[in-house]
Amino acid sequence: MIISGNSPLQKTTSWKVVLPFYMYAAVAFLFSCLLLLLSGDSFQLHYFNPGTLAVTHLMALGWGTMIILGASHQLVPVLIEGKLYSNTLAWLSFIFAAVGIPLLVYGFYIFDMGWPAQAGAIAINLGIISYMANLAISMARSTKKGVYSAFILTAIIWLLLTTLAGMLLVFNFTHAILSSNSLTYLPLHAHMGIAGWFLLLVIGVGARLIPMFLISKYTNEKILWTIFGSINLGLLLFIVSALCVHHHIPSIIPALLIAAGIFLFGWYCRMAYRERIRRQVDDPMKISLLSVAMIALPLFFVVALIALVSVSGSSNELVLLYGFCIFFGWITAIILGMTFKTLPFIVWNKVYHLRSGKGKTPDPKDLFSGTQFKWMAVSYLAGFIVFALGLFLQQILILKAGAGLLVVAAFLYNLNIYKTIRHKAVSI
Amino acid sequence: MKISTNNPEQCAVATEALKQVIDPEIGLNIIDLGLVYRIDFPEENKIEADMTLTTQFCPMGEAITGSANEMLQETFKDYKIELNLVFEPRWGHHLITEEGQIYLNS
Repeated sequence: MIISGNSPLQKTTSWKVVLPFYMYAAVAFLFSCLLLLLSGDSFQLHYFNPGTLAVTHLMALGWGTMIILGASHQLVPVLIEGKLYSNTLAWLSFIFAAVGIPLLVYGFYIFDMGWPAQAGAIAINLGIISYMANLAISMARSTKKGVYSAFILTAIIWLLLTTLAGMLLVFNFTHAILSSNSLTYLPLHAHMGIAGWFLLLVIGVGARLIPMFLISKYTNEKILWTIFGSINLGLLLFIVSALCVHHHIPSIIPALLIAAGIFLFGWYCRMAYRERIRRQVDDPMKISLLSVAMIALPLFFVVALIALVSVSGSSNELVLLYGFCIFFGWITAIILGMTFKTLPFIVWNKVYHLRSGKGKTPDPKDLFSGTQFKWMAVSYLAGFIVFALGLFLQQILILKAGAGLLVVAAFLYNLNIYKTIRHKAVSI
Repeated sequence: MKISTNNPEQCAVATEALKQVIDPEIGLNIIDLGLVYRIDFPEENKIEADMTLTTQFCPMGEAITGSANEMLQETFKDYKIELNLVFEPRWGHHLITEEGQIYLNS
């Protein structure tokens, strides 16, 4: 066989680098839901408490960030049309983060900001630096530099700033590095992670993958650059207003700028959906599209929160609902959907790429159980709604019921991941 | 999309064989997807074909090109197969055949 041409076939990232991230994230999601069930009463207290901090960091780092790190090692080369620079750096980022996350979460859970939390924070930062170096060099070597690269690189910079700020906050408990206590800087740290890392990365990758999976004719770089500018400007104004005492920026302005970016992304997805060539949309894609609509929920709560704070001071329930809708709503929905649009292909490639053309093989979508996926989606949506209701009503039984349903969803998700990863070659 | 060839009869045989190669994500064969640009028979017992991928770093690239090669080799047993992977012109939706459009619309 001779395969040549003006652009020889490019090797994709090895599955050995990517799969550990997926497995780690799946287990972290299950533990997060179990922690939610065990610490249900924490959600009736002020949001700055050990249970809430432990769940939030396990969700943000162990679940959301780990799976995004894994998937991006596979997907970024497709977006930037360039090879991943180093598998070793990818491994290093996994090892540092995998060791650091449980240490940090344990520190929060026992509310001891001594060595486990501090060592965890350092290890996580080393992992993120390895990841950033790997992707930045990959992008520098790629000939295609455009809006997708800008989203991804900026998102990674925000991620590093978030984890560095998080490390400072952890050390501030024991060494008084900052001028105020760590709670003062918590909104800053949280929003750099939420809007800077998760939102920019999901939009950057989604803007390319959603039209690609739908086989849509729609492209609009102008809208994407506007979204990029709007979210970054909103975030920068938020930071300036949080750090500078003498500022005249109304708190609604950063929120509106970020909301405008999200609204435009919603519009972009709607247009991509309308102009799709492929009429049938599969279940994982439906959940992913639903997650785009779910960004509206935290937005609603943040606007309500700003209004309420300006009138009556503060509302703990709304802060908890806001955080819950982000981590268990939007981020979880997009991951539940996109996992089964990416993982089966990675495993299919691992098992069948040398057998292609030598008899009929199963399709990638046959590698996971569609029935389990449907039950997972049902228990997830029910759990999300019930737990959110429990937060709103501050009823422990409703909170426990919601958390129980989320545990079922996480368990089914893990089963399906296990089934997919353990797939052995079959001929049909 | 019309495939360029110097031997329409043999090309039709090769095209039928390549219709067995399915893009695993889209579920459509590579001919109707418009991934095959040229199938020439420059000399006796030799095939030269140009094909592309929907994106240059397609994770399924190795499987798709390998499968195309296997299918051609199985159909033209004693032939030397030279499969060129090209990215000029770039693949676009306009290259999907009418049959492909019907399949995706169904």
